[in-house]
Amino acid sequence: MIFELIRLQFLKSFRSTAFAKSAMANIFLGFLILLLLGYVFGAGIFLPRIIELLAEGQDPIDVMNSYLIFFFLAEFMYRYFLQTLPVIELESLLHLPIGKGKIISMLLIRSFISAMTIIPILLFLPSAFQIIEPIYGASGAVFWVGSIAMTSWTLHWFMLWFKQRFEDGLIGIIVVFAVLALGAGSSYMGWFNLGELTKPIFDLALTSPVPIVIMAAAMIGTFVLCRKFYLDNAYLEDLAAEAEIRFVGQSIGFFSRFGLAGELANLEWKLIIRHKKSRTYLMLSAFFLLYGLVFYTNPAYQSEDGGISWIFIFVGVFITGIFMIQYGQQFLSWNSANFDFFLNRKDGIEALVKGKYLLFISISVICFLASIPYVYFGWNILLVHIATFLFNIGILIHVIIYLALWKPKPMDLNKGAMFNYEGVGAAQFLIIIPLMAGPYLIYLPFSLLFNDYAGLLALAISGIIGLFAFKPLSQYNINRINANRYEISSSFRQES
Amino acid sequence: MIQVKQLKKQYKQAVVLDVDQLEIPNSECFGLVGNNGAGKTTLFRIMLDLVRATSGSVSIDKQDVSKTETWKATTGAYLDEHMLLTYLTPDEYFQTLRKIYGMSEADLDVHLEKFTELFNDEILGKKKYIRDLSKGNLKKVGIVAALMGRPEVVFLDEPFENLDPSSQIRLKKFILAEKEASQTTFLISSHDLNHVTEICDRIVLLEKGKIINDLRDKSAMMAELDAYFTG
Repeated sequence: MIFELIRLQFLKSFRSTAFAKSAMANIFLGFLILLLLGYVFGAGIFLPRIIELLAEGQDPIDVMNSYLIFFFLAEFMYRYFLQTLPVIELESLLHLPIGKGKIISMLLIRSFISAMTIIPILLFLPSAFQIIEPIYGASGAVFWVGSIAMTSWTLHWFMLWFKQRFEDGLIGIIVVFAVLALGAGSSYMGWFNLGELTKPIFDLALTSPVPIVIMAAAMIGTFVLCRKFYLDNAYLEDLAAEAEIRFVGQSIGFFSRFGLAGELANLEWKLIIRHKKSRTYLMLSAFFLLYGLVFYTNPAYQSEDGGISWIFIFVGVFITGIFMIQYGQQFLSWNSANFDFFLNRKDGIEALVKGKYLLFISISVICFLASIPYVYFGWNILLVHIATFLFNIGILIHVIIYLALWKPKPMDLNKGAMFNYEGVGAAQFLIIIPLMAGPYLIYLPFSLLFNDYAGLLALAISGIIGLFAFKPLSQYNINRINANRYEISSSFRQES
Repeated sequence: MIQVKQLKKQYKQAVVLDVDQLEIPNSECFGLVGNNGAGKTTLFRIMLDLVRATSGSVSIDKQDVSKTETWKATTGAYLDEHMLLTYLTPDEYFQTLRKIYGMSEADLDVHLEKFTELFNDEILGKKKYIRDLSKGNLKKVGIVAALMGRPEVVFLDEPFENLDPSSQIRLKKFILAEKEASQTTFLISSHDLNHVTEICDRIVLLEKGKIINDLRDKSAMMAELDAYFTG
C-alpha cells in the first residue's frame, strides 16, 4: 500500500500540467539545487581552513562548536520560509479505505526526502574527518556529526508541526522574530553569548554518545508529536482549506480617486491579501527593505573619495522596486483564475492593467518612503534611492510588464510561494537580464564619463521621461494583451 | 440582433464548430441543446469573444464582437467560475460590479431585491468568499451578476445545473418575467429539456459542431427533442 501511494505521488508530480509545461524551468531548477548542494559541500570541505583564517590561533573545533548554535538558528529561519507542508495531497486520499495513519506517515516521510535534510551532513562531515577524527577518533567524529544531523532533523519535524499550528497567526511571527532577535541580540548587541552557552553540549558530543542519543530521542519525539498533530487534524477544513477569513482585506480609500482603474487596484490588493502566495511576496518586500543593511554597512563597498559603489544602484533598484519585480513577473498569471471576468467587461483589460500600474507605483512609493531612514548611512544613499525609484516607476515597470506578457501561464494562488514555480516560464528567467543590466546601461556611461552623480542624474531623468511617456508606454502593453487575448485566456483555462 | 456568419472553429484538424448561418432577433429566448462535446460552450465563448474563431464572424447589434468592445456594456454572461472573482465575498463582488457598471447603491439594492427568494439567505451578508460557496450558490451569484446593469443580451451556460428544484423554478420564472418586462434576449444552453422547452421560443440542436435542427414550433419541440435524444 505504501508503495502504491508513493507511485501515485510520482505520477502526480510528473503528470501535473505545470510540470509538463515548464519542463525547462524544472530542469533548470534541478541543476540549481544540485549546484547549491555542491557549493554547500565545497564550503564544508574548506570550512576548517576558513575558520583557521578567520580565527587565527584558536582551536578550530572550539570555534566551530561555539558557532554551531547560529547555524541552527539560521536553519530555523530558512526552514520556516522554504519548508513546504505536505497536506495538499490529502484531499484526494482521505475518503479512501486507507488508514489515516498510513497516509500521514507517507506524507511526512516524503517531506523528509529533500535537499534540506542532507545540508548539515554535507556541511559538517568533511570537517569531522579533517579535524575531529585525528584527535577524537572515528567514534568522536560520528557522534559529533550525528548529533548535528539529529538536531537538524528534529528541527525538520518541529517546523512541520510549528508551521501548521501557528502559520498565519501572530504567534508564528512572534516566534520567528524572537529567534531572529536571539541570534542578533547575542552576537551584535552582546547581551549574552549564546554560542558559549551551548558550546559544552557540542563539546560533549566529541567524546560521548549522550548528546546523539538525546537528540535522536528528540527527533523521534518531534516526529511523534508532528504525526499525532497531523493525524488529529486530518480533516479537510483543518489542514487543506485555508483558515477562516482572517484578513478581511479592507479597501484602500486612496485608490478610489482613480476611477475604474482605482477600483481594480483595490481588487488586486484584496487578491494579494487573500492568497497565500501573493501574501508571501508582500512579506518579502518588507524583508527586502532591510537588504540595504547588508550592503550599506559593509566596509568593502565604502570608498574613501566619497563616490558611490556601483553595487548600490542594484541595491536601490531592489529596495524601491522589489514588489513590482517579484509580483510583476507573473503579471497576468495572478488573474489566471478570473481572466474571463475582465475580458467580458467593457475596457476590462485596460482597467485591469492600469489598476496594476497604480498598485505597483503606490507600493513602490511606500517602499521608497520607508527606505528614507537609510540616509543615516549617508546622503548619497538617499540620492541613489531617489534615482532608482524614478527609474523603477518610469522605465523598469514597463519593461517588466512587457516581458511578463510573453506567454503567461496559469497558477494556483493558494499554494505557497517558495520553490513553487507555477506560472514561471522562460520569460520569468529572462526578466533578470534587463533588470540587472537596465539601470547600469544608463548609469555607467555617465558615471564613467563624468562622475557618479551624473550617472544618478541620468537614471533619474530617464525615469522622469518614462513617467511623461506613461500613457503611450502603458497603452502599448495594454494593446499587447488585447492582441493576444484569445491565447492568454485559453491557456488560463488550461485548454489545448 | 445577433448574427453568426460562416463560423468555424478548428483545433488542428478537428473541426469542433461549423455554423453556417444563425440569426437571433432581439428579445428572443434562444435555447441551445446537444450532447457533451457538441460545441455549445465553444459557440458561446466565440460569441463572447473569449475564444478566437478560425473563420467567420459574430456580431451583436451589428458590431463585430472581435473588433469592438461597446457591446460588452449591454451583454451579460455567466459561463463558468472563471467569470467570477472568487476571492471576494458575494457582497464585495456585487459592489465591484456596481462600480464597473456605474450603478448607484439604490440600483444595486433594487436589483438584488429581486433575488431575495433565490438567494435564500445563504449568499448576502455572509462572511464567506465566493470560492468557498457550494456549486449551486456559486451559480446563483454568477447568474445574478450576469443580469446586472440592464443587459440587452444575456448568455447563460447550463443555468439550471447544480440548482435545487425550487431555485430552478424561481430562475425560470424570473427569466420569463424579465423577457416580458424588458425585452431581454436570452441565450441559454442546457441539458434539461423540460426547462428549455418551457422558457425558450426557439431551440437549436447542435451535433458535433453543426446545427442539425432549428425548432420554432413550441408544441412540437419536446417531442422532436425526445426523439433525437432517445436515439
